Amino acid sequence: MSKSSRKIAILFILPVIIFYLVMAIYPFVSMVYESFTNLNLTMPHSGQFIGLSNYFAIFQDPLALSSIDFSAMVVYIAVPVEMVLGLVFAYLIRGLKGERVFRTLFLIPMMIPGIVFGIAAQMIFNYLFGAANYFLSFLGIQPIAWLGQASTAQFVIIFLDVLQWTPFVFLIIYAGLLSVPQDLIDAAKVDGANGWQAFLHVEFPTLKPLIYVALIIRIIDALKIFGKIYMTTWGGPGTATSSWSFYIYKVGVSYGWDIGYASALAVILLIVSTILVNILIKFLNLGEQLGISKET
Amino acid sequence: MGKYRFLLLVVSMIAVMAVAALAVTTISVVVSPDNGPSIQYLAQQFMQQNPDIKVDVTIISWETLYPRLLADLTSKTGIYDAFTWDVMTAGAMHSGCLDLTQYFKDHPDIIPAGYDMNDLLPLAYKLGTWNGDLIGLPYYNNTMLFYYRKDLFNNPTYQQQFYQMFGRPLRVPTTWAEAVDVARFFTQAYNPKSPTRYGIALMFPTTHTMFYMFPLFFGPYRTSTNGIREFGPVNFDYGTYFTSDGKPAFANQYGLMALEDMKALMPYAPDPLGSDYGQTIEYFAQGMVAMCPQWTNPYLQFASSPALQPASEKIGIAPMPGVSVAGNWALGVNKYISPEKQAAAVKFILFCTTKESGMAVLKKFAIAPVRESILDSPEAQAAIPWVSALPSIYQTEAFRPRIPQEPQLESITDVYFSKMLSGAIPMTIQSLQSLADQWNKVLAGGQ
Repeated sequence: MSKSSRKIAILFILPVIIFYLVMAIYPFVSMVYESFTNLNLTMPHSGQFIGLSNYFAIFQDPLALSSIDFSAMVVYIAVPVEMVLGLVFAYLIRGLKGERVFRTLFLIPMMIPGIVFGIAAQMIFNYLFGAANYFLSFLGIQPIAWLGQASTAQFVIIFLDVLQWTPFVFLIIYAGLLSVPQDLIDAAKVDGANGWQAFLHVEFPTLKPLIYVALIIRIIDALKIFGKIYMTTWGGPGTATSSWSFYIYKVGVSYGWDIGYASALAVILLIVSTILVNILIKFLNLGEQLGISKET
Repeated sequence: MGKYRFLLLVVSMIAVMAVAALAVTTISVVVSPDNGPSIQYLAQQFMQQNPDIKVDVTIISWETLYPRLLADLTSKTGIYDAFTWDVMTAGAMHSGCLDLTQYFKDHPDIIPAGYDMNDLLPLAYKLGTWNGDLIGLPYYNNTMLFYYRKDLFNNPTYQQQFYQMFGRPLRVPTTWAEAVDVARFFTQAYNPKSPTRYGIALMFPTTHTMFYMFPLFFGPYRTSTNGIREFGPVNFDYGTYFTSDGKPAFANQYGLMALEDMKALMPYAPDPLGSDYGQTIEYFAQGMVAMCPQWTNPYLQFASSPALQPASEKIGIAPMPGVSVAGNWALGVNKYISPEKQAAAVKFILFCTTKESGMAVLKKFAIAPVRESILDSPEAQAAIPWVSALPSIYQTEAFRPRIPQEPQLESITDVYFSKMLSGAIPMTIQSLQSLADQWNKVLAGGQ
């Protein structure tokens, strides 16, 4: 590239860089700084530097610690279920009569915002008027307080997450399945493999990198689960469905604008997500799988 | 030449429009859903009388309104010119609210002729103040009422059945202990002959609702002779939750008894831990429950419900078996806006709080009056049945804290109470003490 072309290129991308600096980098740096202060919008003269106090406080905050449980539950239960279901549906739907229609219908939940899911869930799982208890009554099952008991409220949130995000996993894997060269499958069949064997030994290994990518995206997203909780349970009963990100919202916005402490919580979430994702990338050897690892 | 003429015409039109637009002051008013329709109605009336002021009303949910307002006032951005604010957030909001006492002193002409400041109920007025400054004109004197099914309580068959079961007459409960028996009687799982599925609609979710439900049960203990002797009189800024010298007053046998009273009613309520404001209104409106502690304005929803017709025979209203809790709203003006906007906003909130406006929104939207003359008015008493009951209810109300730390205290408390009621942590004085410790940390300035 010539020097003048480079200048023009830089000129073109400059607005984006400025936008990124102002809208992403500056708030991020500001958040990290504020995590070391006692900034609280309800308190005049707050914002003094207090070192690591906010970080130490997190380890003594029972509400923060209890919100780890539900975040972990979403990652450990919802994400694997989404991965398995996404894979199964992608496998089953391929070649089915009406494949296009199914595919379109299947993607609808993914397009619906979490907030809308939450509102719908409030209606579906209402104790007296909800569809869930109505249909269960045909089986002779007594009404269940879906949103009023810890275990059922957790089930509802996880169910909603699975319902919303299985299509995302499906989409990635389905696209991957369609891109597997037909020659490979035909060759396997000529060698005597049945459909399942061809999938297991030919298609699945080809899909692995995509599955890993979907897994990592889902883990990052599951750690940030918020909308469904906000609209459905508000983290309750107690802290049964309070995720880390929901707790950040409560501390930082909804109740009290304790910006310093909420920033520390957010920094912790960022660190945990980054470490987790890096471990996964290393463990799954993702760089090599995708062919993007640095050559030595 | 024709081209230039056309251009001149367009430019002139734009100039005229711009001048017209500049002549109109637009104010942005943000309100909670409780107050929304009534403020929208008043805005229309106000604009008809004041064509030079345009009022844009935005309705925002309670959960979002407070943080947005607080962010606007603290950052001094001046997005909202006027707003309804929950009086319990006075401590947190005051720094961004215009001091109306001073404003009225500086601009005496802005107060319309006939606007009677002395007619405003002293309690409602006081709730709009902070540190002696009037930071909001009282708008909605909301309080909690005990709705019950008048037809069922007056039914001789049920009266007889109740007497057979409990050996005393069926009557509207005056204590929570009495309410337990009545709730049991009207719950089909415990009394198959009950005309309603559940006895009472309770809302104990892990939201701010929990924070105002607890004082209904704790209030009677806190304001009892023993309570006053041990904790002193209720301090207006710290509220019922605190001792008179600002220490948590609930980490003791009184707090525990209040929670036990709440727990005792739970078997007779549909999903109390998972139900909130909207759900409990629906349960009572659909005739599913016999009793329902609720705020004043759901009355109109009950009165229009087909399941509760004729409303005058089916909807009974009584004071709370314990004490009620204040849920007042005030109308404030942003300190950080231009003088023109401030003047327009002050004009608007004055208009909203006149006697005429108060009467209109009472009749149309069941907005509890802030003026003594309306409470005393036979017209108002005939329009909404709870009006005549309000003066005695206001005298014994419980109050939530108004100190700046209120939102944080509320957030912690909702979780603790929900955990205790659901059995996730033991319902003991130790658990209450651990909550009080959390409060003390917040009050001391830590998390």
